[in-house]
Amino acid sequence: MIATGIPKLDDYLHGGVPIGETLVYYAHPGVEGAVFGMQSLFHALSTGISGVYVASSTEPRRIREQLGEFGWDVDAYGDRFAIIDAFSGLIGADSHERYVVADPGDVRSLTQCIHNAMEDLREPGVLVFESLSTIMDLCGESETLDAIEEWNQYAMLYDHVMIYNFTAWPYSDDTLLSIKENICDSTVSVGGIVGDVIFGQYFGVLKANWTDVVRKYILFKVLKPGGVRAYIPKILVTGPFDAGKSTFVHALSTRAVSVDRFGTTIALDHGHVDHKGFAADIFGTPGQERFDPIIKLLSGEAMGVFLVLDSTRSEDFARGKQMLEITRSFGLPVVIVANKQDCDGALTPENIRDKLDMPENILIMPAVATTGEGVFEAFETLIDMVTGV
Amino acid sequence: MTYKLGISRLDELIGDIKSGTNIMMIGPPISRKDDITNIIAHQGLLDANAVVIVSTREPGNNVLEWFERYDSDVPVDRIGIVDCVTRTLGFGASDTDNIKMASSPVDLTGIGVKISQFLEHFWMEMQLRETRLCINSLSTILMYSNLQTVFRFLHVFTGRMKAANALGIYVIEEGMHDEKTIVTLKQLFDGMIEIRGSEEGYQIRAVGFTPKPTPWFDYEVDGTNIVLRG
Ligand SMILES: Nc1nc2c(ncn2[C@@H]2O[C@H](COP(=O)(O)OP(=O)(O)O)[C@@H](O)[C@H]2O)c(=O)[nH]1
Ligand SMILES: [Mg+2]
Repeated sequence: MIATGIPKLDDYLHGGVPIGETLVYYAHPGVEGAVFGMQSLFHALSTGISGVYVASSTEPRRIREQLGEFGWDVDAYGDRFAIIDAFSGLIGADSHERYVVADPGDVRSLTQCIHNAMEDLREPGVLVFESLSTIMDLCGESETLDAIEEWNQYAMLYDHVMIYNFTAWPYSDDTLLSIKENICDSTVSVGGIVGDVIFGQYFGVLKANWTDVVRKYILFKVLKPGGVRAYIPKILVTGPFDAGKSTFVHALSTRAVSVDRFGTTIALDHGHVDHKGFAADIFGTPGQERFDPIIKLLSGEAMGVFLVLDSTRSEDFARGKQMLEITRSFGLPVVIVANKQDCDGALTPENIRDKLDMPENILIMPAVATTGEGVFEAFETLIDMVTGV
Repeated sequence: MTYKLGISRLDELIGDIKSGTNIMMIGPPISRKDDITNIIAHQGLLDANAVVIVSTREPGNNVLEWFERYDSDVPVDRIGIVDCVTRTLGFGASDTDNIKMASSPVDLTGIGVKISQFLEHFWMEMQLRETRLCINSLSTILMYSNLQTVFRFLHVFTGRMKAANALGIYVIEEGMHDEKTIVTLKQLFDGMIEIRGSEEGYQIRAVGFTPKPTPWFDYEVDGTNIVLRG
């Protein structure tokens, strides 16, 4: 298996792409699809695998800059990295790359280079295509489709993995269908939530021949540096007054703000988390009962909930449970954080479960928000529940 | 929601342009199409629109300077430029708030992403509901990609302009393309701004907005103004 390095995607693909097989990132126009191929390339290189990038719409020097903007220094991998330059020939520029396509408009010329690169490449290696659509535009749809089949066969022969970026411009239905469903072993759709403008991007596996498809879509953001981050737009942190909600939000966040009005009468926390390929926005809710309508409101679009409890204050548990009911009526995944475990008299998660009379399937995790202990474990657990398998 | 070109006589004759309109501007070289495009964009700024300009011949900085030169109060936060030139000249410039770098005019995928990002930014973060997109020019893009490829690209983006109730302006160099290219592309547009040479200089008219084309007008460009005569 060669992992794609895209957060969550490797879980959905059960580890990545098997040697000899192929994957296409099928991107809708206007959505940041190209970064997926780049990230997979860099991930392979960084895990000791060889990689070749097929440049078809960007100058090689510029590609290195683009990778650099994400923090991916590919040249550090020396001989394990190469570019097939199918661009310079197009604009009549010189090229210093190991493989240069003499006539980018002729798909046979490209096939020759790909063949050479595959022979040279230490297996298993990964070949990533900057843009299959550009190649198709230059060489013709059916010519390119035929060539892809040939390349994919080479991949099988030489034990490599092929990864294509493809932008789904309005080609003929047959062409689109064959890229989407037939020509590769797996297809990952990279799309945009389209309203009046595109205002959110997602990806999901459409097909993978080697495993059952997990039909889940993941929102994503692209960070520079960093690359693709699975994005959870809204996670709530709720719980009784003084349980440690604000402290918990700050412990998780790279950036956080707390708004305190009139002392502690109303307090709202907002933080950005960036952790292990996941980006999330988390919102703390006020604890007092009269703000329950606010919790309801906030729960509407939330994707998951933390219920923070002060483990020393069993008298507040009933209130905690009540707040949980408010959000649970929305069917959201929940993790209960048994906070202040460092304090004398803190109950264990199991004690708390008994007192709350919580069923086994609700997770209760120990934490000390002031030191950060346990907070990321709780985060990872909730993210797993939100994103599924 | 309607738009004005900012070309007074033409605006009077054709009336308000309805949202979601895509317009081709075609004319000979040195007829100051760049200025006219910028003037139409500038009218957008005056009308509180967001403006996205795809520049294939002038570096993004020059385009921005045009606005700053002729309008000291220009609201730069409502301008987004997709620069397809600077990188091809070999400069390693990076993106700014106003200028996003595309790798080259070949990279339609990348250009499309940058346009979409500006549209999202203006729509979501600035809550602007009226947008103009100016692509200056399609002719450069057609030098690098074949007609069908460019047609597909435009099919997507003229559609997006409709969906977003925006105004799209697409500039074409007269005399650089065969008849088939022009006829093919015309299908995508709701109207045209035509420019032609005359003894005096150049003339402009609007076609497709009213049952008959407007008359031809001589014109003179002066900063952010265009004065029509005749
Ligand atoms: N000892 C200890 N104190 C904590 C812990 N978490 C929060 N606190 C303290 O508990 C108090 C209330 O925390 P805060 O985050 O403001 O609670 P909120 O009302 O739920 O937002 C503050 O004084 C925190 O420093 C913890 O894990 N251990
Ligand atoms: Mg608080």
